[in-house]
Amino acid sequence: MTDHLLRVEGLSAGYLGENVVHDVSLSVGKGEVVAVIGSNGAGKSTMFKAICGLQRATSGTVEFAHADLTAKKAHAIVRAGMVYVPAERHLFPHMSVRDNLALGAYPKRPRPEQIEFVFNTFPRLKERATQHAGTMSGGEQQMLAVGRALMSSPRLLMLDEPTTGLSPLLASEAYAALTDLRAEGLTILVAEQQVPLALGLADRGYVLDHGRIELTGTAQELADDPGVRKAYLGV
Amino acid sequence: MTAVVLDGIVLGLQFAILGAGLTLVYGLGGVVNLAHGQMAVFSAIVIARLIDHGVSTFLAVMIGIAAVGVLGLLIDLSLMKPVYRQKGESRVLLGLLLMLGVGFIIDGVLEWKYPIEALTIRISGDPIPILGVNMRRGSLIASGIIVVVGASLVLFFRFTTFGRATRSVIQDERGARLCGVNPATVRTVIFGLSGVLAGVVAVTRAMSTPVVSTAGVDLTIFALIVAVVGGLGSVSGSFFAGILLGIVNTFSAFYIGTYITTIVLLLAAALTIVLRPSGLLGEKP
Repeated sequence: MTDHLLRVEGLSAGYLGENVVHDVSLSVGKGEVVAVIGSNGAGKSTMFKAICGLQRATSGTVEFAHADLTAKKAHAIVRAGMVYVPAERHLFPHMSVRDNLALGAYPKRPRPEQIEFVFNTFPRLKERATQHAGTMSGGEQQMLAVGRALMSSPRLLMLDEPTTGLSPLLASEAYAALTDLRAEGLTILVAEQQVPLALGLADRGYVLDHGRIELTGTAQELADDPGVRKAYLGV
Repeated sequence: MTAVVLDGIVLGLQFAILGAGLTLVYGLGGVVNLAHGQMAVFSAIVIARLIDHGVSTFLAVMIGIAAVGVLGLLIDLSLMKPVYRQKGESRVLLGLLLMLGVGFIIDGVLEWKYPIEALTIRISGDPIPILGVNMRRGSLIASGIIVVVGASLVLFFRFTTFGRATRSVIQDERGARLCGVNPATVRTVIFGLSGVLAGVVAVTRAMSTPVVSTAGVDLTIFALIVAVVGGLGSVSGSFFAGILLGIVNTFSAFYIGTYITTIVLLLAAALTIVLRPSGLLGEKP
């Protein structure tokens, strides 16, 4: 693991002068799927926002594809190829599915084969192509959020709790789609509370607790860890 | 009766383009541009001065519209920077106060330097009968220009990459940033565009009524009312509301009296806020 796509070193971030994430270091290799698992409030979202420029980190560095992206603005980081799908999705509610997807390709015009790729990954979006995003169900919105992120052909897809608000059935469908994307060679960093799903998808993982990385290992090692089993897998 | 409606539509189209300029800037960055009408008058006086100095009307109009567009860009790049760093209410208040100040400055300078200057663009020729009503050529040409400008705006926001990016910032700024859109760039360009639209207001209005150097405040108030009724951030909403309010205006002026019109329009805005806070076609949640 010498060729890191993303390398985060000593990252701290928080709100109103109080850090929520403390001295976090992690890396994602090209083609890897890495999970960050932790309970609600462990600091996963804050960490992701600080990595992708939506929030200023109080310390630490973010290196992506050998370029220093520390303190770069969010839109510049997206254009560098690191695309973040937040748990709140942030879709454009009064625009059609197709327009939402088109914006994913910004500043370029959307290419037909990209839209086709997204529609193949999420056939439901094709059926809803002209519908306004704000009128869709939670599961469909999640598909659209991931689809929109894919439109820029990202080098790294960062997903924050892609199962938020989804029924168990829809959640496993979402992970089935992510498994397909992984097979396409996409590099993914996913934060998740639903630990069995995340560890089923990932190659490696980090356990985040109270804003610190408590444990790291392969997905299998984490799944076998007694602490993880007790805290997150309920066994 | 038909004449009142037609006059209302002509006036309403001017309202529409006024409202569109204001609504875009507000929808994007939360700045209520209380100098919007004054920017239109600034453009009118630039054009009038150029014509006085022997520049051809067409060239003067082009320069005047470009000048107010540049004024918009400069305001965004200078005064508005600290505004955009604020969030929520303090952003709205700071933007409102600073633009109020800009309005006072433009008003003051124009009144001091050119107190009796006014822009009138004469369109010669006989009136043209429409539905049995003789309409002045100036009004018709002005309306035609506004329809073309309005249609171009709607197409721009619907079908171009930058237009879509603009709407994305209006609907969800964070979502826009996550798509690689830089909201600061969008805001600057649209503030400039808003200035150009103010210039279009000045020119089209001058085809039927003299635009005097003190007209700014009234135009700003009309812009504000149309933007509220149409829905903040929506160009098509501005057009819808503008025409509706134009007709309401001429009706109340015709059947009650001109003294009542502004009150009726303000009432329409107040009612909209109570009944439909996002406006008739608002894109802001």
